[in-house]
Amino acid sequence: MSIIYILCIEDEAEVLDVIVNDISALEVVFPIEVGVTANEARKVIDEILDNGDRIGLILCDHVLPGENGVELLVELQGREETKETRKVLLTGQAGLDATIKAVNKAGLNRYIAKPWDKEDLVEICREELTHYVINTTTNLLPYMGILNAEKLSEAMRERGLPSDA
Amino acid sequence: MRTKRKTGVNKVRLAGLALGFIGFLLPFFIQFDGLSFAGHMALGIFLMAASFWMLEPIPIYSTSLLVIMMQVLLLSAQGPVYMASSLPETIPVNLQENLWQIPGSALDNNEAVYIRIDGKKTRRVDVEVTETREDMAIIRAPGLTEGDVIVTESGHWLIKYRAAHYSEYFRTLADPIIILFLGGFMLAGAAVKYNLDKNLTSVLLKPFGKKPMYIALGLMLVTAVLSAFMSNTATTAMMMTVVIPITAQFPPEDRFKTALALSVPIAANVGGIATPIGTPPNAIVIAALNQQGISIPFGEWMLLVMPIVIILLLVSWFTLGYLFPPTLSEFKLKLEGKFNTSAKAITLYVIFGLTVILWITEAQHGIPSSMVAFLPITALTVTSVMTKEDIRSLPWDVLWLVSGGIALGVAMDNTGLATWIVSSISWETLPKLMLLLVFGLVAYMMSNFLSNTVTATLIIPLAISIGTSGIAGEGFNLIITCIFVGIACNIAMMLPISTPPNAIAMSTGFLKTSDMVKVGIIVGIIGLIVGLLIATFVWPFMI
Repeated sequence: MSIIYILCIEDEAEVLDVIVNDISALEVVFPIEVGVTANEARKVIDEILDNGDRIGLILCDHVLPGENGVELLVELQGREETKETRKVLLTGQAGLDATIKAVNKAGLNRYIAKPWDKEDLVEICREELTHYVINTTTNLLPYMGILNAEKLSEAMRERGLPSDA
Repeated sequence: MRTKRKTGVNKVRLAGLALGFIGFLLPFFIQFDGLSFAGHMALGIFLMAASFWMLEPIPIYSTSLLVIMMQVLLLSAQGPVYMASSLPETIPVNLQENLWQIPGSALDNNEAVYIRIDGKKTRRVDVEVTETREDMAIIRAPGLTEGDVIVTESGHWLIKYRAAHYSEYFRTLADPIIILFLGGFMLAGAAVKYNLDKNLTSVLLKPFGKKPMYIALGLMLVTAVLSAFMSNTATTAMMMTVVIPITAQFPPEDRFKTALALSVPIAANVGGIATPIGTPPNAIVIAALNQQGISIPFGEWMLLVMPIVIILLLVSWFTLGYLFPPTLSEFKLKLEGKFNTSAKAITLYVIFGLTVILWITEAQHGIPSSMVAFLPITALTVTSVMTKEDIRSLPWDVLWLVSGGIALGVAMDNTGLATWIVSSISWETLPKLMLLLVFGLVAYMMSNFLSNTVTATLIIPLAISIGTSGIAGEGFNLIITCIFVGIACNIAMMLPISTPPNAIAMSTGFLKTSDMVKVGIIVGIIGLIVGLLIATFVWPFMI
């Protein structure tokens, strides 16, 4: 079974620490990886994919040194392996144009404005990851304890899997 | 930091694969006394299937398909082994009245020879050996007449075994019991599609009020009823969507959520016993009995097992309430259900109701349940309630798994393998109660670790041959033994791996493995005891 990663992209070290800390409850099942620029994030992504693992969720800041967050998300949306990855913009400074682009071209799933509420953030991550595993994964059982078990059970009911044997 | 994970082949799977191949080849190198050549091949297939089913180097349903393929190739009259072969013949030399000279190899155990009727058929004739010289024998045989041709090799593989037509093995893929299950799958699939299962749950749970223990009882009863007609696993998944919102209302230290999370898989497993279509092991039991010409009507099965199902549900309910008492005095049940009233949904309700009624009243109208099962299969497709996409998503793998199980039983019976295996033990010295207990206990133990269906597949043919060979002596009841073994397979729920419903319950994180083991053992032991008592004191009067 491949591992599903959470990727956080944020250029300010202190902010990045807070994000990772806030969602650390999910780390038991979904290891968290970080990147401070789009380029670094890309390297991390390639490494994860090369290892046969997947990225379930990206929490991405918009304003980054060099290439901005929305551009990176658009690129990932176009890539087969990261098309299903849930994409969340976590930012205070994305303008209207960038946000529209993120929604239309990057399939943005959520927009979280800084500053955020810890509980909201964790809840959003759980929900997005729940969507991700339902959309991409056959065996949902390993995620029942940490994600939205009700939705996962419902998905299993609808699929009729796994069957009696 | 990320580390490259080991991608080496799983050792268990490799062992399973190796064991399967060795098991398959073994009977070709070792001669077992009293076992025909065909029996040797069947033994090879049996050992291979058992290894593959137990250690799962390949999916269990593909093992089933492999079984059927091997049987068609190795055991059928049209397969390469039996197709080309013909019995070696010789003409006995008539020395004088009733005295014949024959090759020594034609003698079977120094007491009989085989008259060759055609290339594949023989007739056994008793003889008396008067003299043997080198590789020849002089026999006294009133049964032989001038012109008879005898078989030169008494151990030839065509003797004592009439290879079945290959369709005999393929037929298991459409055995009446498979059709019965397909009918059940169609109904269950349609029920999920039109949310009948959820809405029914809402309606049925309402009368149980708000008190935790009553709600738990309601959950268990509804789960049991649904899983009697749907797959235990699908029922569990659906009930979890009801249970999980309830558990959110409990304070973190309240252990009643453990009780709730356990109540669902237990009730689903137990409920599966209730009808022939409740769970695949029932299919193995019924198909095996059918092979022996014994048919068990749908309603009769339900009557036989109902006392056990009800007692087990109540026992588990008490046990869960005792071990994990609720701290809240009441809680809210979020039951929002609105029945789908589209024309198709209503068609489904009618077909569902009609089918169930026809099933339960089988004894009254006499139409076999498998025949009734074709009603939903046909009606749901004719009315487009189930589309071809829906049909494709049915659990065909389960049907194949069961088919392979039935085929294995057929071959073990045909080739005399099953009789040979059980004849090595002197059963008649064992009290009948003991015999039942041994079978039940073995099935229970195996089923805790293996798929319930696989356990039934491996054990039922042995029970059948004990019954048909008569070696268990007077008082052995085939039907009782088989149903009891089936129940023992279904009540094995000690571990998360025992059944898929257990795995679902475990994954919620509301319970520890030790909780499951504790409750599972209690339910299992009480189930075996109650089952044994009912099988001994009640069933003989009902069958």
